[in-house]
Amino acid sequence: MVRLEDVSKVYRTDRIETTALDAISVTIEPGAFVSVMGPSGCGKSTLLNVMGLLDAPTGGTVSIDGAPIRGYRDREVASLRNAKVGFVFQSFHLIGDLTVADNVEIPLLYRRMAGGERRQRVAAALDRVGLTARRHHFPTQLSGGQQQRVAIARAIVGEPRLLLADEPTGNLDSQMGEEIMAVLHELNRQGTTIVMVTHDPRLAETTHRTIRLFDGRQVQ
Amino acid sequence: MRTTLKIALKVLLRRKFFTLVSLFAVAFTLCVLLVVTAMLDHVFGPNGPDDRRTLVVLNAEIAGEHSRMNGSAGYGLLARTLPGMPGVERSTIFAEPRERTTYHDGRRIVCDTRRTDGEFWKVFRFDFVEGGPYTPEDEAQAAPVAVVNESARERFFGSGSALGKTFELDGKRLRVVGVVRNVPSVRMLTFADVWIPTSLSRSDAYKQELVGDFQGAMLLAPGTNGSDVSAEFARRVSTIPLEDARFKTLSAQAHPLFVAVASSVLFEGRPAAVVGFLWLAALLFMGLPALNLVNLNLSRILERASEIGVRKSFGATSGALARQFLLENVVLALCGSLLALPATSIVLAVLNRSGFASYTAFTLNARVLGWGMLLTLAFGVVSGVLPAWRMSRLHPVGALQGRFE
Repeated sequence: MVRLEDVSKVYRTDRIETTALDAISVTIEPGAFVSVMGPSGCGKSTLLNVMGLLDAPTGGTVSIDGAPIRGYRDREVASLRNAKVGFVFQSFHLIGDLTVADNVEIPLLYRRMAGGERRQRVAAALDRVGLTARRHHFPTQLSGGQQQRVAIARAIVGEPRLLLADEPTGNLDSQMGEEIMAVLHELNRQGTTIVMVTHDPRLAETTHRTIRLFDGRQVQ
Repeated sequence: MRTTLKIALKVLLRRKFFTLVSLFAVAFTLCVLLVVTAMLDHVFGPNGPDDRRTLVVLNAEIAGEHSRMNGSAGYGLLARTLPGMPGVERSTIFAEPRERTTYHDGRRIVCDTRRTDGEFWKVFRFDFVEGGPYTPEDEAQAAPVAVVNESARERFFGSGSALGKTFELDGKRLRVVGVVRNVPSVRMLTFADVWIPTSLSRSDAYKQELVGDFQGAMLLAPGTNGSDVSAEFARRVSTIPLEDARFKTLSAQAHPLFVAVASSVLFEGRPAAVVGFLWLAALLFMGLPALNLVNLNLSRILERASEIGVRKSFGATSGALARQFLLENVVLALCGSLLALPATSIVLAVLNRSGFASYTAFTLNARVLGWGMLLTLAFGVVSGVLPAWRMSRLHPVGALQGRFE
């Protein structure tokens, strides 16, 4: 599904050079549920951003479905992200001015798709996360767990094969966190490949495999 | 598109005070531009009698080494150039209106009088409420006839028909053969209170003049290229011999009315430059409120960073985002135009009632609204391009984290 070969990411400013990722080589197999762990600032989110083509690596190669990404031209990576990757963020990043349904619809707006089909897909995605009844609500009218479920619906509405979740339970209490994990495991059982950043070892234990990072290097 | 419009409106409502300030600036700017457009349309647009495709000759100049004479075209110049022009259905020669004072039944009456030939009534389409025009034969025979407008009819004869009635002007007793609806004084080719045959002039000296107080108009045949007619007119002008040894060159040009007027003031004989100048003036006028809007939009990048990051994460290209933000700005401009329209109507109504120009009726017709829409879009695009470009260039990761480098 995703293959990183000798990937590094270095942030440079005028005075400082920070190595966020250092020679990472990872393969994420189709259907896997992989967690990424490590202390704060070790490069977990950067790894996720590089996997999701939100950020270009400084060195090494990222391949998706066997095809190496070269050039990172805006139109091409945008199209790949839209077709193959879904994102779930720790702080949800829902657009407060839009209803639940409109938020979920966002990835479909960047595809050639009729309005009727978009609405059908939105309804199906909301059904999968159990929020059909809340489709006309605004994000601020929902609990944190419900907001994260909306974010998951948004991530899966385009039926991507890869779901990247950056601490999806980080802003939630334990009960809501478990609800979200249940949704993610269900998606994984249905075939979605998931890579999840987490600080919580109990959540990591429920995944198939854990990648551990320290100071930008893979330690396990 | 629906979602984009929804977001655009939500963004506008999010910061009501700034939106109000922006809307006021947009509405005021568009209101002024619409008033100017309505006035230009009333003066130059295809309204009233001169609503067909014509080329006009307004001015002429003769110049020598030490002498120069310019002004309106002379009858002699027009009579030697307009007849038989290829691609022209009809042509007419007519004088500028002159204010004349006369007395009728002991009342002092001031009226603008224009001398014309008989073809004048065939080139221009007046709305006759009584009778009809005088003919080329009337003009050839110097028949003492006149066409008056409704205002002159009222002032000379009160209510009721004026046909066949007479009044005195410049020592001649004229018989009314037709009454037309009032033509606004800003329609410079056709306005008058009284129209009389040119041949009623006291002397024939005007027939020799190259520079005088006449104007000419050529009604173009369908499919005729106006530039060809302009070129042929210029060629004919160049063949006219100059009998006065003081002068070496004669120049006069035939253009559509708007270009003829504008180019005589601004860019002699360069219509594209005139149009370009007017657009530049409109853009400059829109500049300040546009800058205000640019500033406002740029400050809003901060509050929209998360949205930008999300959209990019889910497949939006920079181009798609730029289009979205541009559209939002156009929506704002359109909202401003909705406020500008009633404001413009009020200003035009006040102008119409002020009587600063006789018989004027500035209106927001379809043509003016079309121009208004174009100006609105131009305003929306001009003020939206830079913020849209800046927003669309944000890095998705930085945007999600609230960083804007």
